[in-house]
Amino acid sequence: MNMETMNEVIVGIDLGTTQSAVGVVESGFPILLANEEGSRLTPSAVWYGKSGEVEVGALALRRQGVDHVITSVKSLMGRRSDEVDESERVVRNGDGLLLESAAGPKSPEEVSAEILKKLKSVAETQLEGEISKAVITVPAYFHDGQRAATKKAGEMAGLEVVRILSEPTAAALSYGLERLDESSKVVVFDLGGGTFDVSVLEMREGVFEVLATAGDTSLGGDDFDEALTLFAADQLGMRWSDLDAMARVTWLSEGRRVKHVLSSAEEATFRVPFVGEVSVSQDRFRKLLSDHLGRMESCCRRALLDAQVELGDLDSVLMVGGSSRIPMVRKKVAAIFGKEPDMTLHPDEAIARGAAIQAGILAGTVREVLLLDVTPLSLGIETMGGLMNILIPRNTTIPCKAGEMFTNAVDFQCSMKIQVLQGERELAKDNWELGGFELPFEASGRGQARVGVEFRIDADGILSVLARDVATGKDTVIEVGSSAVDVTEAKVERMVSQSVEFAFEDMNARVFEEARLKANELLPAVKMALSQVGDLLDRSELQEVAEARAKVEKALLGNQSALLKEGVECLDRATESMATLLIEKASSSVFSPQGD
Amino acid sequence: MDPFLILGLPERLAVDTGQLEEHFRRLGKEAHPDRGGSAADFERLRSAYEVVKSPSKRIRAMVGEAESRGSVPGEVMDLFGSVAEAMEAVEQFLKERAVARSGLGRAVLDAKIPALRKSLEDLTEKLGALESGLIDWFPFFDEKGWDACEAEMGEVARGLVFLEKWQAQIREATGKLFEALLGGMS
Repeated sequence: MNMETMNEVIVGIDLGTTQSAVGVVESGFPILLANEEGSRLTPSAVWYGKSGEVEVGALALRRQGVDHVITSVKSLMGRRSDEVDESERVVRNGDGLLLESAAGPKSPEEVSAEILKKLKSVAETQLEGEISKAVITVPAYFHDGQRAATKKAGEMAGLEVVRILSEPTAAALSYGLERLDESSKVVVFDLGGGTFDVSVLEMREGVFEVLATAGDTSLGGDDFDEALTLFAADQLGMRWSDLDAMARVTWLSEGRRVKHVLSSAEEATFRVPFVGEVSVSQDRFRKLLSDHLGRMESCCRRALLDAQVELGDLDSVLMVGGSSRIPMVRKKVAAIFGKEPDMTLHPDEAIARGAAIQAGILAGTVREVLLLDVTPLSLGIETMGGLMNILIPRNTTIPCKAGEMFTNAVDFQCSMKIQVLQGERELAKDNWELGGFELPFEASGRGQARVGVEFRIDADGILSVLARDVATGKDTVIEVGSSAVDVTEAKVERMVSQSVEFAFEDMNARVFEEARLKANELLPAVKMALSQVGDLLDRSELQEVAEARAKVEKALLGNQSALLKEGVECLDRATESMATLLIEKASSSVFSPQGD
Repeated sequence: MDPFLILGLPERLAVDTGQLEEHFRRLGKEAHPDRGGSAADFERLRSAYEVVKSPSKRIRAMVGEAESRGSVPGEVMDLFGSVAEAMEAVEQFLKERAVARSGLGRAVLDAKIPALRKSLEDLTEKLGALESGLIDWFPFFDEKGWDACEAEMGEVARGLVFLEKWQAQIREATGKLFEALLGGMS
């Protein structure tokens, strides 16, 4: 394969949770480049040897179960130590995270850079020339920090990252390139290994405009493996916390295998040598996933609301990402959008192809196409009272900017602290904190210093801040850094809430009080639920509820906390199916296609 | 600078949304940094488009200072109470739901979601009708001349600002109800 002009080749890279790919546009068409094993997909796995040697992809993956291999590093990109749970093999490094490896601790950016280096060399081999520029995709719902970390990883791999591109948007590009003369509104449902995005786009006259996007950066196929595995472990009487890291890898890969089998079979068997086996039906799988499916639906509804698009206006629903292969997920998507999803895009390759197209647009080889993406999260600053004041609302077309004027509140105040946030919650502390900065004032009387601050979100979805002193006209580029202070505050808060929990010295009284409160909620709820969905229960279920209810009522008269606690737990279990029925009834009433 | 001027459009309140979108797509294609334009030019276009696209921002850009004071159309004021009530009901529901201790307790609360959602839908419909009613005045203002109907335009502008704000609040509240209902299944 020879490139005609070697000077401006930009590659498109899909840096995925489980696998990655690199592509380029040739003669107007996006193609993916195969690695030395002949595969267009490279597993996102990295192994480090003691003396610093590194293996990436299938080679690294072969060592799994024998040696420590780093996988799913994407889920740690741009995360802070307090966001990651204890079970991860990470070393906390102040605010940041490092991953364990035989060659010493590595940052998520360093590990991602190894994957990117590998893809870079795949492209260089295939295209017979040096590659120095790339478009890299990220989940649409990645915040500023996660995007910046991805960009940094690219730079560490020796690539100039000319664009950070949202994955569902990339998928839409690869769908739309062949349909440039059509006008349509499409939904892209992108469920990958570790992340979930849903975007609503309008494509007209070669302009791809994202209307709204929503998602969850910790929801993906890995969670399904885990749900299956935890279920099997429970059934086999094993405690997850008792398993060591190697055993967990083995169990989880069995969970993944079972998930794959369930994509075509009605039933699958989870087998662990010397421990036992558990059979998993489709129905069980559906129950295990119901929470995840609910969260996905929630994002889809949010995106539709934000885009202000009616279901009837949608022309297609595109599905991409490995987990779109799961029949249950497809069924769910069909139910949400009221139409069969379009499965014509390659679930694992469409995003990399889209990245290649965007690379082509930037290199000037793909004309007649333009992408207008949006910022997924609202950007704001913390105001008095700990509230979030939104400056750029979510789903604003990028690049964009917004300004805010600040003034000194007291005489000769020389600076002011400003916290920048991303998220949709009203309270500042509930949002992701991008960082803070000190805004300098010229020393002057109260209300006289005036500094305008401009917040810019570039086409990568990354923020930069510029301050302009109105009096002097001087511009200052402001570094937004994460502040250690607030992390400590969060810790303090956690400690406070813990100390409140332990304030009850008399454990018995505390347990009784908690159970009593729950009982007082459950008893009237049971009465109401029975009147609404009681006729849908069979006799044995009704009996079970009645018995548990009697147990609770009796225990409430005494003072034995153990008895009351047991009764309440019993009633909780007995009323599970009634709770599900109530929610299903409410859901079908709210989301029925007729709308009433 | 005048957003209409930036977009190269005649200064008229009555705007054909379809034509405006097409116009912006064409200009955007030329000015976008990805197509060799400058970021500053694109930002000027984008923010001008944002103003012209929204009826309330459009009319506010024209009436200028006058819009901040004065009366609000009576039929808009009449809905103030219903909107506040509906928002309060959703807030109250979310508060109760947040402190529920049992699955069934939450489910019993969730059974109220269809009714809450219905009330929000009904409101949206009313607000939408009012909004189109106010926008219908636009050609009239264009024809009469803006100076001649400054007071009326101010009133319509204030009405539209309220309607737009309420519609956004209702969408947000609807989103929260959906989240409660869908995230609650486990």
